[in-house]
Amino acid sequence: MTRRILAFVSLVFLAALAPLTAQIGETNNTVVVITSDASNYVLHAGGTVAKMVEDGMDAILIRIGNDEKDSWDLPPEETALRTKQESEAAAKILGINKVISLGFRSSDFRDVPFTTMRDRLAYYIRVHKPRVLFIPNPHTQYDRNHDRYYGGRAAEDAWRAAAFKNYLPAMKDVNLGAHVTPEVYYFAPLVDPARREPESTATFVPQPKMTDISGTLEKKIKAAQALKTINHSVAMRLKQRLDSTDRRLPLLDRVDEASINKLVEERVRGLAQLSAEGTDFQAAEEFRYAGAEYRIPASYR
Amino acid sequence: MNRFTLSIVLLGICGVLSAADLPLVDPPPGKVLLVAQPHHDDHTTDYGLAGVILRFIADGYKAYYVRGTNDEKDGRLGFPRNDMVNLKETYDALRILGMEDHVINLNWRNNFETPYALNDQREQLIFLVRKYKPDAVAGHNAWEHYQKNPGHRNLSWNYEEAYWLAGYRNVHPEHFEMGVEPHETYHYFGKARLDWGRGHRPNVILEMTEEQVKVKEKAIHAHQHVYANPGGARATRTRLAQQGLYLPDLEDVDDDTTAGNMMIEWHMNWISRRWGKEANVKYGEDYYYMGEFYPLPGLEEFLDDNVEAK
Repeated sequence: MTRRILAFVSLVFLAALAPLTAQIGETNNTVVVITSDASNYVLHAGGTVAKMVEDGMDAILIRIGNDEKDSWDLPPEETALRTKQESEAAAKILGINKVISLGFRSSDFRDVPFTTMRDRLAYYIRVHKPRVLFIPNPHTQYDRNHDRYYGGRAAEDAWRAAAFKNYLPAMKDVNLGAHVTPEVYYFAPLVDPARREPESTATFVPQPKMTDISGTLEKKIKAAQALKTINHSVAMRLKQRLDSTDRRLPLLDRVDEASINKLVEERVRGLAQLSAEGTDFQAAEEFRYAGAEYRIPASYR
Repeated sequence: MNRFTLSIVLLGICGVLSAADLPLVDPPPGKVLLVAQPHHDDHTTDYGLAGVILRFIADGYKAYYVRGTNDEKDGRLGFPRNDMVNLKETYDALRILGMEDHVINLNWRNNFETPYALNDQREQLIFLVRKYKPDAVAGHNAWEHYQKNPGHRNLSWNYEEAYWLAGYRNVHPEHFEMGVEPHETYHYFGKARLDWGRGHRPNVILEMTEEQVKVKEKAIHAHQHVYANPGGARATRTRLAQQGLYLPDLEDVDDDTTAGNMMIEWHMNWISRRWGKEANVKYGEDYYYMGEFYPLPGLEEFLDDNVEAK
């Protein structure tokens, strides 16, 4: 009797898994990158995305924010337009073949209803059925740009919501069913002192993962340099700060395209070096990674 | 739990925390410190800020206090009187700290912070940063874990963005009609309780003199409306007596309120010594400090090597 009950339970369990397997089976060889702002993903995930493209994946970028605030002396509308065009240029350099700009007002994510942002992201996940997702890490600490927290939170839940057919049920009528994305990379600026602490096992918590970007570092630098409006803003703010405290960075004595590009290059190389610490890589990026081991204990795989 | 018992418990908790050699920092060069906190008494608690305020004032800063809420819930006199008495005691305490009457009251309704639009309070803070042009700001560490008080949580969350967004011309451009200009601040000192989990990890210690610790001890019990604790002193004496013990320092003190204040002072003195140990000095306060190149990891080494004096 006990054997029969066990056999029945096992059959029910396998039957429950079947749709999940089917959904994973429909996955495209696509990476979808979700970013709150134009520079965050380039600086902290660009090299890895470029490498995946070189290895044969298609890549799509979803920009949540319109980046209207981040310029030195341009009005919001002009800032948003230029950064959109420059984001497209940067994405192209990395090999991303489509950029979707959702147009939420940057720096104002905090009062956007959570589900408004999440459901738009979940829609695109269902449309593109990615194998890999890159999202801002909402669990990172000490990133004082809170758009990344709100965007990351929405993206993380969109990953989950896209996998359940009872979310966004209207899409069922247009044959846009649930989609399980099997791999997720969480990216973040390197400011969290605890960013490499595992917190828990891989079954429960995405684990620290470093990737080798030596082969795509030059591409990443060029992509970062393409974000001209933001880079000009960073350079001018730095120069303003130094001027106001009677200091100078000789590189910025004259702020022009060449000096800004050099500053960006130094920044990207510096980040790659920081992330490579403790690894055998010359240049790296670091993530929290949720792959096959996440939620599925090794003994079940 | 009275403060004496609390001290003993905290001593035990802190005893198991690993000791770290935290670097000492001094106030950066500047003139204005803008402290933003939700409540009347947050400028001086066992977990900080009075030390920052006193050190900065000693270095010639002018310090301003933004009181985010009306504190109507804190006290036993009913909403309006709690607000009025707590405001008066804010002034009393800030004068002790040397902040004169530099209080800006935002008057958000106390403990109704969760449902309001976060951008509304952040906008006020952005405006204040533009108006007062602080060289340094101080408040709660927005990343503290298990912070149950929505006032602390929300105001620090808003302040952590306000102090740098204030430097962006496309953020609330309507402010410029009022004669202010963009102003970005480059030094943030965040306080929090270390015994509330993994969020707050101090990265600096600010040293205090014995005299400054004495001022801090006085500033906290300026808030007698909520801190006077004669019952706590009585209970401590009774419990000690039951065990055949007594505190010599309390023997000649007849008034239980005075005795309670003394116990608050002991507690403040103890916590200042406890944090001083982290940097091998007698007295200190711990902070999570975000400096001027904080948002540019990757460039810090390059800037260290190449920035020069004019």
